[in-house]
Amino acid sequence: MTLKEQIRANRWRTLWLLFLFAVLVGVIGVILGYAFQPSLLVVVGVVGIVYGIFSWISAGKIVASATGAQPADRAQYPRLYHVVETVAISAGLSQPPPIYIVDDPAPNAFAAGRSLDTAYVCVTTGLLDLMDERELEGVIAHELSHIRNRDVRLMSLVAVLVGVVALLSDFLFRISIFGGGRKSGGTAGLIAFALGLAALALAPIAAVLIQLAVSRRREYLADASGAEITGDGEGLALALRKLELDTTETRHASRAVAHLYIENPLNQASGMRGTMRSLFDTHPPLAARIAALEEAGGFKLPPA
Amino acid sequence: MVVWIVVGAVVVALFVFAVLVYNHLVRLRNEAETGWANIDVQLKRRADLVPNLVEAVKGYAAHERETFDSVTRARAASQQAAGPAQAAQADAQLAGGLNRLLAVAEAYPQLRASENFLKLQQELADIEDKLAAARRYYNQTVYRFNSVQQTFPSVLVARPFGFHERQFFETDERDPVNVSFAVQT
Repeated sequence: MTLKEQIRANRWRTLWLLFLFAVLVGVIGVILGYAFQPSLLVVVGVVGIVYGIFSWISAGKIVASATGAQPADRAQYPRLYHVVETVAISAGLSQPPPIYIVDDPAPNAFAAGRSLDTAYVCVTTGLLDLMDERELEGVIAHELSHIRNRDVRLMSLVAVLVGVVALLSDFLFRISIFGGGRKSGGTAGLIAFALGLAALALAPIAAVLIQLAVSRRREYLADASGAEITGDGEGLALALRKLELDTTETRHASRAVAHLYIENPLNQASGMRGTMRSLFDTHPPLAARIAALEEAGGFKLPPA
Repeated sequence: MVVWIVVGAVVVALFVFAVLVYNHLVRLRNEAETGWANIDVQLKRRADLVPNLVEAVKGYAAHERETFDSVTRARAASQQAAGPAQAAQADAQLAGGLNRLLAVAEAYPQLRASENFLKLQQELADIEDKLAAARRYYNQTVYRFNSVQQTFPSVLVARPFGFHERQFFETDERDPVNVSFAVQT
């Protein structure tokens, strides 16, 4: 896929995504209106639309506050600024993106923002401590290619929308149990009530499935174009290897923003729980990503 | 009648094709120009830096006039260069001169330890890295722009509309300037 095709595909997926979320919120609203009170439909609709517009406008800021990202001080992080500015030039961005930092010992990085101009990159302090210059360049190139390929808009939007659906269903779940007056008694009322609860419980899962659909393959693509930007796939592969070996947990990451990061920030459980979990992983395994880089770049990392 | 419709359709199709190719070429040319602007920024930054670097070394090693002159001459040549190929040539000479200048500085521990010199050296390293990045990007865009112009069928549009192949920014002789981006902590 060329860059242009990917940008175009991203535009379509963004529209699709908005549509799917509208449908999802609409379905929740209709079921609720039917099960509990018609007026809930209006409430859900208004809250959904207002929150949707609000999140579209401030997606970058919401993500920053959800992850604990702060603007990085140039005097304090000269090496980071140097690498980001250099890689931005290699990537052909007209200007380097703003740089944010998360004070967290777990090494990780992400890019977010609504548009090409407002997108920023963010790294954790743990990443800076762990990576040497070459590896840091690889990671930044991965993030900048998310920006250049217009992935960030889609991914930031997903983060915010997953948050909205979770919030909405949580909120309604509570009022439906505690304060929701049922309009009709009897069996029919009970069935409707149960249906309503089921819809509320399933909504976040549906939201996560949408999140998955947009995120996994994107990581491979960002790895590939990141390697192309620096001309050094091995540097990125070495960085991924370090991330693979590191077991520190990212503190601020939640389910809603997990897919933004270069590495899955949520803890990797093993065994049965791990298998279940991998079904819902936002990222392909790091080993597979390293293998893909090795194949494309014609090199082989020494075994870990 | 049918013939005219066919001819008309072909003419329209050709026109649409020409417009698409033309726009594609313009986009590629803009990319290459952005790439060149990036190189230019770094070349200017370095041209501004060089006199300060020379002054700093002069303070300790005034007798190395030969080296200072060659650096200053290379800087002047680089500022007067017309076009990427000449600029790359001048850049290679300046890089050689800077390497000699830094080698001279090596012999003066006091100079190497001075804060001013360290700062200049760090900035030079920053410029060198960014120049390398800008060169990579520019040469990639020039490669794409030129190959579209050379290949059929876009060559049919490129020539009549006055698109010209761009020069690469490269020479074989250039040795990288030998500074590393060191951060004091």
